[in-house]
Amino acid sequence: MKIAPSIYALARADFLERVRRYSFLLTILFAGFLGYGAATGRIALHLGDYRGVYTSAWIGALVALVTTCFVSLVGFYIVKNAVDRDRQTGVGQILAATPLSKVSYTLGKFLSNFAVLAVMVLVLAIAAVAMQFFAAEDPQLDTVALLLPFLLVTLPAMALTAAVAVLFETLPILNGGVGNVVWFFAWAVIGIGLPELSGKHWLDPMGLMTVADSMMAGARANIPGYKDSFSLTIADEPSKIVETFRWHGVPWTSQAVLLRLGWTAVAVLIVILAAAFFDRFDSARWFVPSLRRAKKIPSTQLTELANGASALPAKPAAAIHLTPLPADAHRNAFFRIFAAELRLALKGFRWWWYAVAAGLLIAQLASPLEISRGPLLATAWIWAILVWSAMGSRESRFSTRSLVSSCANILPRQLPACFLAGVAVAILTGAGAGFRLLLAGNSPGLFAWLAGALFLPSFALALGVWSGTGKPYEALLTAIWYVGPMNHTPGLDFTGAANGAFVIHYALVYTAISTALLAFAFFMRSRQLRSN
Amino acid sequence: MQLKVENLSKNYRGNVQALRSVQISLRPGILGLLGPNGAGKSTLMRILATVTRPSSGRVLWNDSDIAQNPDALRNTLGYLPQDFGVYPNLSAIEFLEYLAAVKGISADASKKRIGELLELVNLADAAKRPLGGYSGGMRQRVGIAQALLNDPQLLIVDEPTAGLDPEERVRFRNLLSELSGERIVILSTHIVSDVEAVATSIAILAHGQLLAHDSPEGLLAGVAGKVWEVVIPSDQLQSLRQKYLVSSTAHRSDGVHARVVADSVPGYSARPLEPSLEDAYLAALSAQRANQKAGAAA
Repeated sequence: MKIAPSIYALARADFLERVRRYSFLLTILFAGFLGYGAATGRIALHLGDYRGVYTSAWIGALVALVTTCFVSLVGFYIVKNAVDRDRQTGVGQILAATPLSKVSYTLGKFLSNFAVLAVMVLVLAIAAVAMQFFAAEDPQLDTVALLLPFLLVTLPAMALTAAVAVLFETLPILNGGVGNVVWFFAWAVIGIGLPELSGKHWLDPMGLMTVADSMMAGARANIPGYKDSFSLTIADEPSKIVETFRWHGVPWTSQAVLLRLGWTAVAVLIVILAAAFFDRFDSARWFVPSLRRAKKIPSTQLTELANGASALPAKPAAAIHLTPLPADAHRNAFFRIFAAELRLALKGFRWWWYAVAAGLLIAQLASPLEISRGPLLATAWIWAILVWSAMGSRESRFSTRSLVSSCANILPRQLPACFLAGVAVAILTGAGAGFRLLLAGNSPGLFAWLAGALFLPSFALALGVWSGTGKPYEALLTAIWYVGPMNHTPGLDFTGAANGAFVIHYALVYTAISTALLAFAFFMRSRQLRSN
Repeated sequence: MQLKVENLSKNYRGNVQALRSVQISLRPGILGLLGPNGAGKSTLMRILATVTRPSSGRVLWNDSDIAQNPDALRNTLGYLPQDFGVYPNLSAIEFLEYLAAVKGISADASKKRIGELLELVNLADAAKRPLGGYSGGMRQRVGIAQALLNDPQLLIVDEPTAGLDPEERVRFRNLLSELSGERIVILSTHIVSDVEAVATSIAILAHGQLLAHDSPEGLLAGVAGKVWEVVIPSDQLQSLRQKYLVSSTAHRSDGVHARVVADSVPGYSARPLEPSLEDAYLAALSAQRANQKAGAAA
């Protein structure tokens, strides 16, 4: 079997399958939106009150850094479905029976991931060219200076993102929602924080420090009052700049180039590592360990189960009999659906998940009020993120929509039950802080706490129903949680702890947003039910 | 109890016509819905199950339009889709309890019902294991159980025996026979023997059109005197296939025994045979293809 053509064919098929989906248009729109943000100065690079003249070198580096930062974060969530798609569609079973090796498979998926991310990079590179014309500060278009940061900074970072996405998909613990949350922190710590803290260029997988150091050196050489500041910011309005200076781009020495190529090689090594973990669509490797009562099932029965046999003697056909349901059997018992949804939401977690949730609850009760309603409540709620992220998308994910949607009066019963189950989880996991606020007579804080408990499931339901997957919620909530509750950003703190004097104002805003999100979820679900 | 389908059509995007003016009226009993792949069987089933809306025409359940008032049917509907999933972390009991709640069945009634159903589909001993560890056939039996949860008056089962072993298929056929007394059962399949065993009426669908709807006896009568067995050398089989509709062949020491459906005696040493439903089904499809060709030529 020729390996290279197999890898190419796999990558090509996967890439085509992706780009022919409507969701790919959204991907391109996201890239276009980033390009627009950079071109209009809303996403901007500042060195204190200074910036470089909009030359090809500066614009290329600016847009490449924006692309590297944002596309590596968001792009991961976009591409982390290549292996899962093969699992869901059953194509994986076919591939598993071919001579294709595990390394070839993971390399093919890596190349497809990389190609999708590279298309986004291409859109932004084109936006960079347009930006230089619109900015009109330097009429000279230097394509090499403009494109080199994309080639040497952005693309290796994209290769790393593509490789880590494949690795996460092959690791049972990271292939679901946990991996989506973990990626945010891995990106923030290893991609952004580590190079800054260590100050070492070889520990800079995203290449941000290489560019930043060069720009800061340029500023120091040109502006006497410059004090080594560097920031990439997103703002409503373009920021005011005191002075500009001419920067000639990163001096791409052979060492700097090798370092960036080295990270591309690391990406390939990660893909090879992923092949070692890849289960080759062997469902027994996935299901048998997760069987809660696996120890009680004799191994002979497990083998028969895996082979598709019943493992149980069949009852004779003559014994078939069903008692007719009594006339009063049909009742619109909303509480039963709510209880069923709650059980469905909480099923599938291991004992330690409940242990940690219980520990956080006890800690909320035992800690000082500000810690209880602040970091502890925030941690307790992010701990339950996977409970909420399944809401609204569970029917798509597990192909049960046709079963559920053929039941009577489904929209006004199941969706509210699902939402209330989510609210119940928020109240249960955050009950310690709520109780403390109640005892302290802190009504505004209690209102904010309740608004947060309503926001978390309504946000999940809206995104889940809209997207059919839990990924957008996992990515967005983690980001909001990091910026809001953990970094005490008023307005983004859905626990209410950091909202100070505006706590009631923000609680009202969150309640209004939750109502709108719920209405959106109902609208979308009703459209889905109608448009089948 | 009556289900009436009036001039039902369904178009999908890309100008694909899945159903064309289908008309059918059903009373209690088992309707076997036969047709080749892509005939529109699943589309019809999904419309009847209120999951998909028709492009035109209507379906009346006891004179009530199910597109206008789907809940009137849903309260008394059991539906087993062709492709469906389960929640892998729930056990069979928990999954059925969930769907019983969604279907609005009281806790007491559903508890007893679920126990009986799990016995019925031979899953009682595996009922507390997570569904994620079930085989395809076991999941299919969970699907059959959920379709019967609410003691439906209209039971729609799409390819229900797919993935079942022969013993389970027989159990399921017997179950359908027992259930059919006071309800309408629609069984979609392309396995003619499944329909032959249980159906009180048969509909044949091809290219979205209803080719026939009759009792098994009526369909068999349509091909009576038109089924023959001819014995030919194996090298003549190809030319026989080109001239006639050959429904089956068997190689024997004296040559190939071919079962032929033809209006007149084929030009070989033919002997008449008792027609089967498979002969009637293939004859209906063949006639439709001939009509299409004639239409295209005209």
